[in-house]
Amino acid sequence: MNRLQKAGLILGIAGFLLPLFVTFDGLSFPGHLALSIFLFAAFFWMLEPIPIHATSLLVILLGVGLLSGAGPIFSGMDPAAAMDLYGFKPGSAAAYVGTLANPIIILFLGGFMLADAAVKFNFDKNVTRVMMRPFGTQPKWIMLGLMTVTGVLSAFMSNTATTAMMMTVILPFMSSMDKNDKFKVGLALSIPFAANIGGMATPIGSPPNAIVVAASARAGHMISFMEWMTMALPLVILAMLATWWLLYSMNKPSVSEIKLKQNSIWDTSTKAILFYATFGITLVMWVTESLHGISSNYVALIPIAFLSMFSVMEPADLRKLPWEVLWLVAGGIALGVYMEETKLSGWLVGQLDWSMFSGITILGMFALIGLVISNFMSNTVAATLLMPLAITIGVTQGDSGLANPTLLALMIGLGTSFAMVLPISTPPNAIAMATGVVKTSDMAKSGLLVGLIGIVLMLLFSVLFWNHVVH
Amino acid sequence: MSFTNLEKTPMKPEYLIICVEDEPDVLDAVLRDLSVFETHFVLEGFSSADAVRDFLTASDAGTIHPALFVCDHMMPGTTGVDFLVEVERFGLAAGAKKMLLTGQAGLQDTVKAVNHGHLDFYLAKPWTKEALVESAKGLLTAFVRDNGVNPLPYMNLLDAEALSGMVRDDRRLTDR
Repeated sequence: MNRLQKAGLILGIAGFLLPLFVTFDGLSFPGHLALSIFLFAAFFWMLEPIPIHATSLLVILLGVGLLSGAGPIFSGMDPAAAMDLYGFKPGSAAAYVGTLANPIIILFLGGFMLADAAVKFNFDKNVTRVMMRPFGTQPKWIMLGLMTVTGVLSAFMSNTATTAMMMTVILPFMSSMDKNDKFKVGLALSIPFAANIGGMATPIGSPPNAIVVAASARAGHMISFMEWMTMALPLVILAMLATWWLLYSMNKPSVSEIKLKQNSIWDTSTKAILFYATFGITLVMWVTESLHGISSNYVALIPIAFLSMFSVMEPADLRKLPWEVLWLVAGGIALGVYMEETKLSGWLVGQLDWSMFSGITILGMFALIGLVISNFMSNTVAATLLMPLAITIGVTQGDSGLANPTLLALMIGLGTSFAMVLPISTPPNAIAMATGVVKTSDMAKSGLLVGLIGIVLMLLFSVLFWNHVVH
Repeated sequence: MSFTNLEKTPMKPEYLIICVEDEPDVLDAVLRDLSVFETHFVLEGFSSADAVRDFLTASDAGTIHPALFVCDHMMPGTTGVDFLVEVERFGLAAGAKKMLLTGQAGLQDTVKAVNHGHLDFYLAKPWTKEALVESAKGLLTAFVRDNGVNPLPYMNLLDAEALSGMVRDDRRLTDR
C-alpha cells in the first residue's frame, strides 16, 4: 500500500465515523448515515486503498445494513413511524441490491457481450482494416483514419481494449520510424485521445455514461440510445477533428508515406456469422427506438440471450466479461439513491445559494470540476460523486432552465471523459504512456488543450443545441 | 487497478532472471548481454545448479519469483538439463521460462529437457548478443502473458505489440 492509499484508508474510516459522532444542523438521522457512506466511499474511491469495484460493493452492503428495512437499524420499524420521525421511509434492500441489475447495467452487459464477441472473432481488427483503406498513405490522413476507427470502435467496445488493439496496429510502424520523428508522439497520443472521445458517442461507450443515464432516469427523463447519439455524436465529431488538427500540427511528420501492415481476415464460421447478425439486429433496434418503442436497455437482452443461446459466447467467455465495471457502476447508482432518499444531497446542495448563479455558470462549473477531478481518479467515480449534487440542483432549477437535470448529468459525464492530461487519467492514456514513445509533458500539453476545447464545445452545444432537444 | 499499476516502470523489480554457468568469463558475458533487462528485472548469476537450488529453497523463497532461467548444460554437479527437469518437477519456479544456452547438450539431453523440463528455448554457443537478447525478450513476454502479470510496465522493454494485444485479448485492464 503506498502513501496515498494509506491516507485513503484512514480518511475513509474517519469520514465514515464523523457523522456518527457529530450532529449536523438540518440533516436527519438517516441523512447522517448516508453521509457516513458518502464520505467513506469518496475517500476509498478517490485514493483506492482497495479496488474501486470493491468499494462499490461495500457501498451496497452498507446501504442495506444501515439504511434499508433489512438492516439492524430500521428492521421492525414501522415505515409510517420512520416517516414521522425522520422524514425517511426505510429503504428497500431489494431495490439497493437491485442496482446490480439496473436497466442501464443490463444495457452495459449487452454491450459487453457484443464487444467481447467482437474481440473473439477479430471483428475489431477487420473493421479497422476495411475502414483504413480510404484514408490512403499520407501521414495526415492516416492519423485521421486511425482516430476515426478508434472512435467508432470505442463507441461500442471498451476504450481500453480499443486502444490496446489499435496500438498493435501502429507499433510495428512506429518502431521503424526515425527516433526523433515527432509524429510518433502524435500517433501514440491520437489513439488514446480518440478512444476517450469516441467513448462519449453512445450510452454504452464508457462507464460514466451509465451514471449519466441512471441519474437522468431517476430525475424523470430516460435518455434513449438514439437521443444520446443525437446529442453526443456531433460533439464527438467536432472534438475529434479538433484533436486531430491539434495533434497533427504539434507533431509534424518527417516521412511522406505510411504503410500499415494488417493481415486479419474475416471469420466466416457459423458462430461468427451469428455474431455479425446479432450485432446488426441489436444496433438497428437500438437506433430505431422511437419507431418500435422498446427501450434500448431491454433490447440489450437480445445479444445477451442470442449469443448465449447459440454458444457464440461460451461459459468461459462469459467468465471473462469485465463484471467489475458493472459492480463499479452499480455502487455509484446505489450511492445516488441513498443520497436522494435521505435528502442528504438536498442538504449538501443547500449549503450554497445556487440562485446567484446562471444556468450556464452551473453547467460550466460542474463540467470543469468533473474534468479536473477525473484526471486524478476513475471517470466513473468522478461522475458518481458529482452526480447526486448536480441532479438535486437541476431539479430545483426546473426542467425548463438550462441547468436541468439531464443537461447537468450530461455535462458531468462527458466532462469526465474529456480528462486525458495524465497517464493515470484513463487506462488508454496509461497504455500510450507505457509504449515509452510519449513523454508525460507531451501528454499533459495536448491533453489539457483537448480538455479545454471539450468544455467550450460542451457549453456551446448546451446553449445552442442540447437545450432544444431535451424536454 | 490502482495508481501503481498505471506507472511506467514497476516500483521495484520483483521478477528474476537467473543465469547458471560454471565458467566465470562466460557467466560475465551472459550477464553483460542481459543487462538491458536490469531496469525491470533482477539479474542474478550463479556458478552451479546447486547454488541456484540453495537460493530457491532458502527460507524466504516465497518472495522470489524467477521469470527466466538461462542455463548452461555441462557443469560440475547437476547438469543444466537435469536441473531444469528438477525445477519443473518440484515446482521450484512455477511459470518461469527456461532457456538452455549450451554447445554440449546432445540430442538425448535436449529431448529430455523438452519433454520433462518444459524447455522453452535452445540457444547454441557461441551466441550473439542480439540473439540472446531477442530470445530472452520473447521468453519474458511469454512469462508476462502466462502469469497474469500487468503488462503495462513492461511495454517499453519487451515486445510491446504482443503485450498490447494481451490487454485486448485478456481484458487485463478495463475502462474505469
